[in-house]
Amino acid sequence: MTCVYPQHRLPSWVCIVFVLHAVTTSGAVSEQDVMVNVFQSKCITCHGKHRREAELDLRTRASLLEGGKSGPALVPGDPEASLVYKRIHADEMPPREDIFGDANYVRRVTTPEMEKLRQWIADGAPVAVDAPYESTVSDADRAFWAFQPPRRLPVPQVRDRDRIRTSIDAFLLEKLEAKDLGFSPDQDKLTLMRRAHFNLTGLPPSPEAVAAYRDDHRPRAYERMIDRLLDSPQYGERWGKYWLDAAGYADSHGKIDADRVRPEAWRYRDYVIRSLNQDKPYDRFLTEQIAGDELFDYAAADTITPERYDCLVATGFLRTAADDTDEGALNFVPYRVAVLSEQVAIFSSAVLGLTMDCARCHDHKYDPIEQRDYYRLSAIFQSALDPYDWRVAGRELSAGRKIPIPESFMRYLPHVLDDERVAVETHNADVQRDIDTHSATVTSIAEPLRKTLFAEKLATLPETLRADVKKAIETPAEKRNEIDTYLAEKFGATVAIKDAELAERSTEFKDAARRLAEARQRLKPKPMIQALFDMGGIPTPTYVARRGDPTTPGPRVEPDVPRVLSEGIEPYVVTKPDWSTDTSGRRLALARWLVQPNHPLTARVMMNRLWQHHFGRGLVTTPGNFGETGSRPSHPELLDWLATEFVRQGWRLKAMHRLVMTSTAYRQASRITPAMQRADPDNVLLSRFPMRRLDAEAVRDAMLAVSGRLNMTRGGPADAIDESEQGEVTGRDAPSGLRRSVYLLQRRSKPLTLLELFDAPRMEPNCLQRAHSTVPTQALQLWNSRMTRACADAFATRVLAVAGDAINEQIERVYWTALSRGPTADELRSATETIRALERAWSNRQVEEDADVRRKALAGLCQVVLNSPEFIYID
Amino acid sequence: MTRYDKNNEPASTPTRRDFFARMSDGLCGAAIASMLGTDLRAATARQPYDLSPKPTHFAARAKAVIQFFMSGGPSQVDLLDPKPALTKHAGDLPRAFLDNVESVGAAGGLMPSPFTFARRGRSGIWMSDVLPHLAECADELAVIRSMWTTHFNHEPAIFKMHGGRALPGAPTLGAWAVYGLGSENRDLPAYVALDDPARMIIGGVKNWQSGWLPPVYQGTRLRSIGTPIVNLRPSEETPSEVAALSRALLDRMAAEHRAQRPGYPDLDARIASYEMAARMQISATDALDVDRESTVTQEQYGLHDKVTASYARRCLMARRLIERGVRIVQVFMNCPAGNNPWDHHSDLEGGLRQCCAATDRPIAALLKDLKQRGLLDETLVIWGGEFGRLPLSQGGTGRDHGANGFSIWMAGGGVKGGTTYGATDAFGYHAVEDRVSVHDFHATLLHLLGLDHESLVYNHHGLDEKLTGVEPARVVHGILA
Repeated sequence: MTCVYPQHRLPSWVCIVFVLHAVTTSGAVSEQDVMVNVFQSKCITCHGKHRREAELDLRTRASLLEGGKSGPALVPGDPEASLVYKRIHADEMPPREDIFGDANYVRRVTTPEMEKLRQWIADGAPVAVDAPYESTVSDADRAFWAFQPPRRLPVPQVRDRDRIRTSIDAFLLEKLEAKDLGFSPDQDKLTLMRRAHFNLTGLPPSPEAVAAYRDDHRPRAYERMIDRLLDSPQYGERWGKYWLDAAGYADSHGKIDADRVRPEAWRYRDYVIRSLNQDKPYDRFLTEQIAGDELFDYAAADTITPERYDCLVATGFLRTAADDTDEGALNFVPYRVAVLSEQVAIFSSAVLGLTMDCARCHDHKYDPIEQRDYYRLSAIFQSALDPYDWRVAGRELSAGRKIPIPESFMRYLPHVLDDERVAVETHNADVQRDIDTHSATVTSIAEPLRKTLFAEKLATLPETLRADVKKAIETPAEKRNEIDTYLAEKFGATVAIKDAELAERSTEFKDAARRLAEARQRLKPKPMIQALFDMGGIPTPTYVARRGDPTTPGPRVEPDVPRVLSEGIEPYVVTKPDWSTDTSGRRLALARWLVQPNHPLTARVMMNRLWQHHFGRGLVTTPGNFGETGSRPSHPELLDWLATEFVRQGWRLKAMHRLVMTSTAYRQASRITPAMQRADPDNVLLSRFPMRRLDAEAVRDAMLAVSGRLNMTRGGPADAIDESEQGEVTGRDAPSGLRRSVYLLQRRSKPLTLLELFDAPRMEPNCLQRAHSTVPTQALQLWNSRMTRACADAFATRVLAVAGDAINEQIERVYWTALSRGPTADELRSATETIRALERAWSNRQVEEDADVRRKALAGLCQVVLNSPEFIYID
Repeated sequence: MTRYDKNNEPASTPTRRDFFARMSDGLCGAAIASMLGTDLRAATARQPYDLSPKPTHFAARAKAVIQFFMSGGPSQVDLLDPKPALTKHAGDLPRAFLDNVESVGAAGGLMPSPFTFARRGRSGIWMSDVLPHLAECADELAVIRSMWTTHFNHEPAIFKMHGGRALPGAPTLGAWAVYGLGSENRDLPAYVALDDPARMIIGGVKNWQSGWLPPVYQGTRLRSIGTPIVNLRPSEETPSEVAALSRALLDRMAAEHRAQRPGYPDLDARIASYEMAARMQISATDALDVDRESTVTQEQYGLHDKVTASYARRCLMARRLIERGVRIVQVFMNCPAGNNPWDHHSDLEGGLRQCCAATDRPIAALLKDLKQRGLLDETLVIWGGEFGRLPLSQGGTGRDHGANGFSIWMAGGGVKGGTTYGATDAFGYHAVEDRVSVHDFHATLLHLLGLDHESLVYNHHGLDEKLTGVEPARVVHGILA
């Protein structure tokens, strides 16, 4: 604490000077304060970009001066003569209801805000002049390794050249040899096959595939297997999930208890899986996700091709943040800003590998990222995710009642493929015919009934009134005279007839009404894309939010990328496309800037992710933080070599998988020797392949796969989940089996219990690296759950169907199916003994048929194998 | 099924002796050892992966810890550290304070507390009127008013408070304690986290992680609604001999798998987790069943009041777990507004009232209950967040994060009740007297558990890592009985 001069009224250790609070805020009200807190927050929905009621635009000082129908809105120096002040002060503006007709959550201009407005006008409506500003980011800051373009160094020379299969091996072996270590021997053939299968597809190889591979002694059998796996659609399901983790994907809105489902989110999930399976180059993949809507003139497009559809769906990447703004109480600037900032956090950690979030409130403490950098980057997204020009995430606004949102105010695009659109239209047309039929039936039954009921009710009124009330009710509201209106209001409720009353009188009506309701239920909502798209026009200005608080705007900033990222690459330049889709081009410029071959971070971050999911640990162990507080790469030359090679391979991931998986490093055994424990205890040098537990989805998918319960149908809307009384959340069982975990509804508030126990992440907001816990609750899940029971039973039934009654055969089949190998003689003996004992135990119960006893005993073995460490840990 | 080449090291089949030598250091080993009639307490060496009880460095004052973690940063000047000067100088902004406020424009002037303070108990500890129930336990508490920490952002500060480092990845206090002390109970996890079922706490499972300590020391999260542990019982009951046969086969497979893969501690942890899961089936049901408590007790905790029910349930569970020898119980809370309940940037008054209403009565009931059962003497109870708040206003009704000075309290085993320790300046902004760092706090906690923070080390990456890190840390003797 700086001692200015002593204050005698206070203890001597408090060396402070008091100043009036007002003085520190200098008394003056800034232009941006008024613009943000009054006009942008409360007025411009109706007097701005999209609507210009009374021909008035309240977005800028200039447009205020210009005014509208009633003349200038602002007279500098004279608040009382300024229409904006007068109308707000008289509480005539904003109107009582918002544009959706909601009056519950309309916020008025508060007294302090009004006072600010008054003072600003009284002061002559001064124009904001931002102080000259110089970036503090220096060349020394740019010299940090992660901000320099990747450098491709020559592949090092090593002693044990026999072990070099790919350049990757040379980089790794160099460091190992420096510690007197080498690579471990190759893993045996079938174990390696199992490793590759789980790694690329998240599923075990089928026993048939294992047998075929075991017997394939031709050269390059391993390489062909890798190619097969890369070509299988399950590759995209496995690796797509990693990207979805990074993107923060979920099928629900997020933070509040309602946690509404996002019924259209799956399109983006399928897009990711499809793109990976197509081996879409990463530069294209990123560009579509960041700016797919700016890649073509979608507003003018006559046809939606699959490519165009993908471009729009891809922007779902920027729609993953928790967003509860369709709750009326939360549809305000702070909550909208939270959505934007979460999306910026997801983008910067997943794509840039930088923790930008610190710079939301202040200059980054450790990295050369200024607060201005944050708001520049934020401005790029703000032309679409604009807190002052907002679209809520759902189809209706929940404001005490459900208010449907007009399509033009939804954050959806209707540009789905014709096939889907036509299918839904056809379906709905059929349903509509049913509805019309049922509706006619209902009417025909109801009419006479209504008349009877009406007469009965009318009869309860005094006789003198009856004729007049009848006339009043039968007169349409707009044609009623004063007396009619009075009578209708007074007696309307008495003579009104509810459907329930009709149903009570007539089962015929009741049935017809039920059929009508059922038919209405069958109507499908119009298919829409959960997309991000520019709000068009002149984007709302972005200000630095002091201390991260949007109500205290600081200097204005223009869209740009962090200043420290400039070495060796072209700057960020925005070009507004000249076409009918009104879009700023800000995000397209970001994408173009990102995918420059020399970019310091784009390829490095992605290659680190690829490495991490192959070896369990990234070359940089903090995948979302390549900055000062992140870890330094264990093998910087290798990371750079991979990054440059990735670009040389046309940004194609499959080529890189192939390169990694055909390396000696990847093919090593996983055994740990004392020498390794001494010289490479944490396997930073990759002296062996790390044995790893399956991650959550692979545990579930593998159990379903070996038991034959896995339904391999791909894509489409997410599968339903159920919650048991106990609180266990599971996938909903269907006769066709259960689909892979990636297709289950990922509701933030209801994670699948099995997946959560095995460390499936919660998207808060995204996940770049999963935890790996080992706790008793996992054992309880795998040993006791209905899921395991069902899998063990199905597995046993399946084995019996193939292996018949011979116990040896059964055990062989169980081992080959679940563990991709045959049992040893000891294991066979041990398993046989257990099955025999189990059979005895079950038949002692004397309630079981022989066949049941055999199946139950075998199911016991299956349960054990599904719980065995060898099933869960991959060597 | 040895499937390794023998290039580097001979992949010899482990001998029976090797097998037992290795097994004896796991919990599975503990089980085997107990079956062989070995006294668990005979174990003396502190080895990794070992949950058998360990001798302490010196006599322990407490055997267990209950931590009320109040994430978000409870405001010291509104709860435990009265500052009348705030009223006198309301609205003033001491310029020097701005040196530590990042956005000068956003900072308001000094803001008096909306609550009234009074001396409580015989010891006369100051508390505000928003903690009426805790006031009845004043004489049990040692309030430290001079805590300070290094970070004023939530996540780093939370990591710091749990694990001594501002980064994720370090073991938490609970993990260290169990590493140091082992487990008193073979039927329940030694380290339990009771989080709010409404929502995952900020930081998630990192609040009870073992970090780079072996995974056996990680906290186990128990559900406080529905069945405390999902699938605690089999979905379908099977004859006991069937279950025993299956388990025996699994144990053989797991042991052989483990024996062939030395150097993977995760496999020990997994074996231990199955052993414990089996025992938990019996013991956890009983331990977590608060319905077994008398109606009087349930009422005392506030189990039947909507406002307190959620927290009361976790408090009761905490007591039942401690009674059964669980070492560490972390009790978390949440609120509908977000995953950071004490983070009162706006409407501080309403927010504090809400947080205190939910927790004050259950916490006081737990303290009284422990005392009545004679458990308070050996149970250390700690209350606090990751930092405190500034005495300044933020936006007129809230307070921003303050890391320079804040209050926590401790009670129970080894703590001198009725103590107020340390002081902040006239405004509660900066700890100025008997400052207590997070490391000091940790050193004190370990001390009360009978562990010397300088000696409790774990070799990681070649470094002898400690909970208290490299900066000097001291035991705060002034609060010890």
